[in-house]
Amino acid sequence: MSGQEFQDHQIRDRIAINYKYSLGGQSKFFIELMNNKKLLGTKCSKCGKTWMPPRINCSDCYALAEWVEMKQTGTIEVSTIVWYTTSAFIKAIPYAIGYIKLDGAQTAFLQGIFSENLVPSKVKKGSRVKAVFLKEREGKMIDFFFVPEDEYESWINKPEYEGGA
Amino acid sequence: MPNRVAIIGVGITPFRARYLDKTYFELAYDATKLALDDANKNGAQITHKELQSTVYGIYNELFERQFMPDIFTNSYLGMNNKPGTRIASGGATGGYTVRMAYAEVASGLSDLCLCLGLEKCNDCYDEQTGTTTPEVLNAIAYSADMTYEYPMGMMAASSYVSMVNAHYEEFGNPTEEQMAHVSVKNHGNAMLNPKAQSPKKLTIEDVLYSRIICYPFKMLDCCLYSEASAALILASEEKVKELGIEKPIWITGVGAANTDCFIGNRESIGRLYSNIEAAKAAYKMAGLDYHKIKDQIDVAELHDAFTGQEVISYEELGFVPFGEGGPWIEKTFEKPGEGPWLNGELPCCPSGGLIGCGHAVGATGIMSTGEAALQLREESGKHQVKIEKGRAISHSIGGPGAAYAAIIVMANEEGLKKP
Repeated sequence: MSGQEFQDHQIRDRIAINYKYSLGGQSKFFIELMNNKKLLGTKCSKCGKTWMPPRINCSDCYALAEWVEMKQTGTIEVSTIVWYTTSAFIKAIPYAIGYIKLDGAQTAFLQGIFSENLVPSKVKKGSRVKAVFLKEREGKMIDFFFVPEDEYESWINKPEYEGGA
Repeated sequence: MPNRVAIIGVGITPFRARYLDKTYFELAYDATKLALDDANKNGAQITHKELQSTVYGIYNELFERQFMPDIFTNSYLGMNNKPGTRIASGGATGGYTVRMAYAEVASGLSDLCLCLGLEKCNDCYDEQTGTTTPEVLNAIAYSADMTYEYPMGMMAASSYVSMVNAHYEEFGNPTEEQMAHVSVKNHGNAMLNPKAQSPKKLTIEDVLYSRIICYPFKMLDCCLYSEASAALILASEEKVKELGIEKPIWITGVGAANTDCFIGNRESIGRLYSNIEAAKAAYKMAGLDYHKIKDQIDVAELHDAFTGQEVISYEELGFVPFGEGGPWIEKTFEKPGEGPWLNGELPCCPSGGLIGCGHAVGATGIMSTGEAALQLREESGKHQVKIEKGRAISHSIGGPGAAYAAIIVMANEEGLKKP
């Protein structure tokens, strides 16, 4: 190599794996979401802790947790507005995501927060939100999202969305 | 009783955005060779043939386009027919790898062990934007929970920012200005480190007006992804004596903990319980006091993936009480002998950290441990800090919700004796 300039060589490649992923004990959450627009959590039969996202076993006390229907209203625990992101989501910027604690739940879970006025003050901690569902659902987390309570009526009146059960 | 374990050699390649002239295993070879050279400068006379085992820190298979990069590295390093174990713990891979390499030697399984971290992320390429970073971020985002969180557009910055925002809500800090101070410090420290990827002389305003990434993190609040490799050679006390090592740096404490990777399950979102538990465990093992740690160590290489996280780490690692991390850096700006600055009371990230030196995930915690070891040998060059107590720490966190944490405490010969 001495005296010779280095020449690089790059090749294009892609790793792609297809899945038919089994959701196991969590399946009921996604079936009820898809068919009935319900949000199910689980409640530990021993300590009473409510898990959302649901777990069929309580990780705190190793007892069975039972399915419970959750309220579709909740409070933003923390949020952010994303302006630069992964290749899979870059076409969606800006978007807000946040941890929502549903009324009656002990844990908060991540969801998209949609707003007609996407500014930090609109999605700040303590803001009240309500779930809105896609009309065409596949039993995935993207079947629903949250909106500020005062925008709820406007969102469920859009042709592609509807209110929950 | 475990064997005592020392770092006898440190090898760190330059951290760069892109190495078109090196594959990941070629970078690993460079770091290993540098570490062997350093051990030999430190009194040893060894080659790779004397190394009895390797512990590999490699985070992300998608970066390397290879799901078992360790075995190919093992071949390239001429380490065939010896044990090699891979550790992968997200951004904390480096710290965890040091912990497991420590265990390899402390247990007596090996007397001379190679602790090697590597990562080459920027071969990922996003065809839509014609840039690397969105695809690198996507490769990282597959570390999120794939059922509930990835589909929401979760990524590393939005995960860390959740904790920082919640911490702000609880304590009123870190503010955007306080976070900007970390960026100024770490980019500035990097100007003295010839291996750093991102040396920059910045003002607070430069940071505050840089491009928004995810509120309130700006571009200059975030580390850059790097390509690099870092290696340590670890030896048992017996081997240190046999080789005649001049400046062994003893690993006196290793602590690690994983908090809940679902941020919403945590008692308080603005707290990394893993940091607190890992710090307490590491300090206890080293005979140090969580509440006095700031006065017991000379230097800390922290995991500043994002500025706000460094501020929170000041508190979680016991340097200052909760709620005082932001003021600690802001009020000490340009005041020699105070705060986390290079000439401060406890210099944090003299190497530039992840923000200034760079973040080559699997290599990062090994770089920071190696940097701290070189500080204790007083061989850091221009970013050398004052060594009086003879003790230092390195800190690694990472994974979904930054759930993983690992902390390493080190001491030079004087540091072992001092109270």
